[in-house]
Amino acid sequence: MGLCTGCSLLCDDIVVELDGDKIGKTMNLCRKGHAHYNSLGSERLTPSVGGSQVGIEDAARAAGELLAGAENPLLFGWEGSTLEAQRAGVDLAKKLGSAIDGPSSYSQGMIAEKILAGEIPTCTFDDVRNFADVSIYWGDDPSSSHPRHMSRFSYFPRGEKRQKGYEEDREAIVIDVRKSPTAQIAADGFFKISPGGDGAFIEALTAALAGKIPKVEDKKRMLNLATKLRKAKFGAIFTGLGLAHSLRGDLSGFTALVGKLNELARFSVIPSLGDYNTRGFNQTLFDETGHVDAVSFKDGVSYGRKFGIARFLDSCDAVMVVGSDPAAVLPAALARKLAKVPMVAVGSHRTITSGLARVSVPTAVAGLEAGGAGLRTDGVKVEFDRLVGSVHLSDADVIRRIMEEV
Amino acid sequence: MAGGRELTVITYRGIFQEVEEARGMYSDGYRDQSAVVALDGRDMKEMGVEAGEPVRLATASGDVVVAAKLSEEDHPGVAFMPASPWSAQLLSGDVGEDGFLELKRFAARASPGEGEVTTIGEIEAGIKAP
Repeated sequence: MGLCTGCSLLCDDIVVELDGDKIGKTMNLCRKGHAHYNSLGSERLTPSVGGSQVGIEDAARAAGELLAGAENPLLFGWEGSTLEAQRAGVDLAKKLGSAIDGPSSYSQGMIAEKILAGEIPTCTFDDVRNFADVSIYWGDDPSSSHPRHMSRFSYFPRGEKRQKGYEEDREAIVIDVRKSPTAQIAADGFFKISPGGDGAFIEALTAALAGKIPKVEDKKRMLNLATKLRKAKFGAIFTGLGLAHSLRGDLSGFTALVGKLNELARFSVIPSLGDYNTRGFNQTLFDETGHVDAVSFKDGVSYGRKFGIARFLDSCDAVMVVGSDPAAVLPAALARKLAKVPMVAVGSHRTITSGLARVSVPTAVAGLEAGGAGLRTDGVKVEFDRLVGSVHLSDADVIRRIMEEV
Repeated sequence: MAGGRELTVITYRGIFQEVEEARGMYSDGYRDQSAVVALDGRDMKEMGVEAGEPVRLATASGDVVVAAKLSEEDHPGVAFMPASPWSAQLLSGDVGEDGFLELKRFAARASPGEGEVTTIGEIEAGIKAP
């Protein structure tokens, strides 16, 4: 049985037939997973220094030298890396006295950190499949981002206490600014909000749950939702970037709402994190520092937004990007700043970021060409073996090799 | 940001874009799924733009030409765009007092575009420019 590292569901029921040392026929992959498996043969990163092709040893040595010579380095990314590579990355950051950060600092890090700190209740996908009768997708469109989310765990499947599945036993509620593919599945359970309207929706729903008249246009519909949630036996709230960005770091209303819901029944929050091991990096750094991103090891352990990539680019003199492509998603002004910093890119595929790097160090694709472990977006640890051979080292071996040069 | 129709642009991720990204960001398929903006029908009519035609989106941070797509929903004044290197050219790099970088929502001016859709090569060249 194979595993898919195409997203943070880490589906572990992939049937793979090997054709010699190549992947042949597969079953159970979603459209995205299929593309991930097929990516083995395209746009692979090659070892290079200063634009010239070199051997992996020379690339690793140049990477180590570049980092060792810096006063203020940043190690960024890690969401597409194994737990072993993330652990090695934290060790490297400590050795360098560098800052370390990941995309969580501009996505759902604040929600993940509160979950890891025990300030927001959570559960596993297996709990959701077995017990949840209400699934709320908030600023979240798993039909697009995590294609098997609803079919394996949160809406369609039968479960221990949910034998009738979505037909009778489960309710899907979608709160979003657009009628996403997930909202189309939810049909009457779709609540369309205005851009940035999440805070107002939280306020109105909290009021309705308290038996007050909510300050919204369709008061009856909001009161009906509150009634539905009051009757729930086990609720799950799946959060997406839409919610995180709309609240801009102020989770007080959201945590109060989740607290209110938990007075009525068990309601848990699971963030729909993007890349396959985002949760793993959050956990690894949290275990070491109490924070999921934006940490500096320069003088002991320091935390703050100034150590997140958006601000740290102003002062850093070297950056190593691992399993990530920030230049593709960051505002152009920040991507241009990133381009001016001497950079090492570590990863399996060519990206816009790797195109900016002075040193490129390729890795095997985790879960296909290299074994390791990751944390599913609900925090469950999943271990995996390689399916096929590779000329590349694993990401953990690459980071350890670079560390030897520092 | 002079001229054009002022819109609130919301970014999102779509399954077909995710698939093309896994296949490679330098492919025509990735550009076709990413360099698009879904517009309200009335906004398109008032802008004089048909589905598939180029639209220039501009902010104080930058501008790109993408293909217009007719949205199935009514959402006048709001446009939806896949989160991608194309939308990233329009985002502000300013970090607010709360330390949060806004990647999901921004105001842009939209006008009928001239020429071809911006290529990933042009975006890369802009990032690398001195």
